Amino acid sequence: MMSLDAFSALLVSGLVLGSIYAMMASGLSLVWTTLGIFNFAHGVFMALGAYVAWTVSDAAGLNLWLGFAIAMSVAFMAGLGILIERTVVRPFYGQRDMLLITVMTTLAVMMFLEKGIQMLWGPRLKQLRPIVEGKVSLLGITISAQEAFIIVIAPLVLAALWAFLRWTSTGRGIRAVGQNPDAAKLIGINASAMFAVTFALSAVLAGFTGILLGSLRLLTPGLGAEPLIKAFIIVIFGGMGSLAGTIGAAYIIGLVEAFLITTVGFYWAPSALFIILIAVLLVRPEGLFGRRVA
Amino acid sequence: MTPDLALEVSGVRAGYDSYDVLMGVSLKVGINERVGLFGPNGHGKTTLLNAISGVIKPRVGNVRFMGDEIAGKSPQAVVDRGLIHVPQANLLFPQMEVMETLELAAFCKRAKPEKSANLDKVLQLFPRLKERRRQQCKTLSGGERQMLSIGVGLMCAPKMLMLDEPTLGLSPKLKDELAVAIGEISQTGIPLLLVEQDISFVLSLADRMYLVDHGEITREVSKGQDVDHEQIMQMYFGEEHA
Repeated sequence: MMSLDAFSALLVSGLVLGSIYAMMASGLSLVWTTLGIFNFAHGVFMALGAYVAWTVSDAAGLNLWLGFAIAMSVAFMAGLGILIERTVVRPFYGQRDMLLITVMTTLAVMMFLEKGIQMLWGPRLKQLRPIVEGKVSLLGITISAQEAFIIVIAPLVLAALWAFLRWTSTGRGIRAVGQNPDAAKLIGINASAMFAVTFALSAVLAGFTGILLGSLRLLTPGLGAEPLIKAFIIVIFGGMGSLAGTIGAAYIIGLVEAFLITTVGFYWAPSALFIILIAVLLVRPEGLFGRRVA
Repeated sequence: MTPDLALEVSGVRAGYDSYDVLMGVSLKVGINERVGLFGPNGHGKTTLLNAISGVIKPRVGNVRFMGDEIAGKSPQAVVDRGLIHVPQANLLFPQMEVMETLELAAFCKRAKPEKSANLDKVLQLFPRLKERRRQQCKTLSGGERQMLSIGVGLMCAPKMLMLDEPTLGLSPKLKDELAVAIGEISQTGIPLLLVEQDISFVLSLADRMYLVDHGEITREVSKGQDVDHEQIMQMYFGEEHA
């Protein structure tokens, strides 16, 4: 029988993981439902967001206020997202093999940016300052304030994303283009503009996730590689296409992973996670929250 | 200058990939006019609407709307000018709610200030949409979806509407309801170009009608003029069956 403290620790680490995954996967899911592609550069976006914030805020860099660094990183990621969409996605839009071609082009971007980070920032390991310092007690255990911050901020960011998509004209335009591009055109929606906004938003989400994680882990060019794989699984597991499904799946996977780490250990947890996912997909091929296509 | 023509299409050739569907089509729609476009499936009626609304670009020919050349312009530019194409069997946005869809449709700058007034108009015209306001588009019946499609067109603040087979697959009762609604819309001074397969539906609504055959306009029929049923049979079944 698990002690209450151990259970609390598991819950908290599961929520931290779930929060990180939910923010990563929601960006990936948004691009998938709007443009119909998977962006393999999404993981390196996460690393890049953290590196940019580091350069602006760290004593070895510009040594500016962290809040300013975050704003700079967000602006940079938005610009980068638009640039990447223009250069490696848009030229192939409407082609029959678009999904496969963009797997290649976004993989190329991933490699290019990873090597670019390595070259610009060098091999020395870096760490971001935490956004909030200190420790807090939660459910009878003590965790870093940064972890508590992640648990609180992720739902707020995701709720803001949801509200944007649900209530604003641009957000609705993005959903419309994803659901029926032809009908969207005929009411005067510029699909290209919606794609650019989608990519920018997704890159910002990834970069911000990197900033959150960048004070808990060390920055490496491959910081986002593992979260990216998890995010892919989450999008598929959540039922491909609904943001709510993706977010729900992210938290479930975060909690299951935390549970596996405490039971089968760090070494086997990822493999065990895959076995569970495959078993679930055998029973529900449409994903956990997906609906069967009629 | 106020043009007396809403739409003027002249000598348009257009098609898909490398072949032409339209072999030089010309037609006119006057201000305050309701014009029908009638002809068998696969003879270019939808292609013509696509060429006008910018979904495809005409290879040759001119399209003038309210005096401005719009041939080859993007669909967005055409919508911005107020020429609204309501496509055939429009599935709209499956996971969007009815009310959201209507609000979204006032997307262009010109339509935004008129959003709430147009919304009232649409809901008055189609009270059924009000009952379904929180339902997702994919759960609507064929008739409701058609009403929503037309409603979406109206939310774009149209200066002219092009309706592609609004009665496709609907029951006679629903067709009558829709005919009344479309009639009311044109009463407000919006010129119409109406594509239909149901000849009596076209005749009940249109002031004038063009017959389309093999990518060309073969005849023009004015209101009151007798429709030559033999010719229509010929169009559908060929010379030998007439």
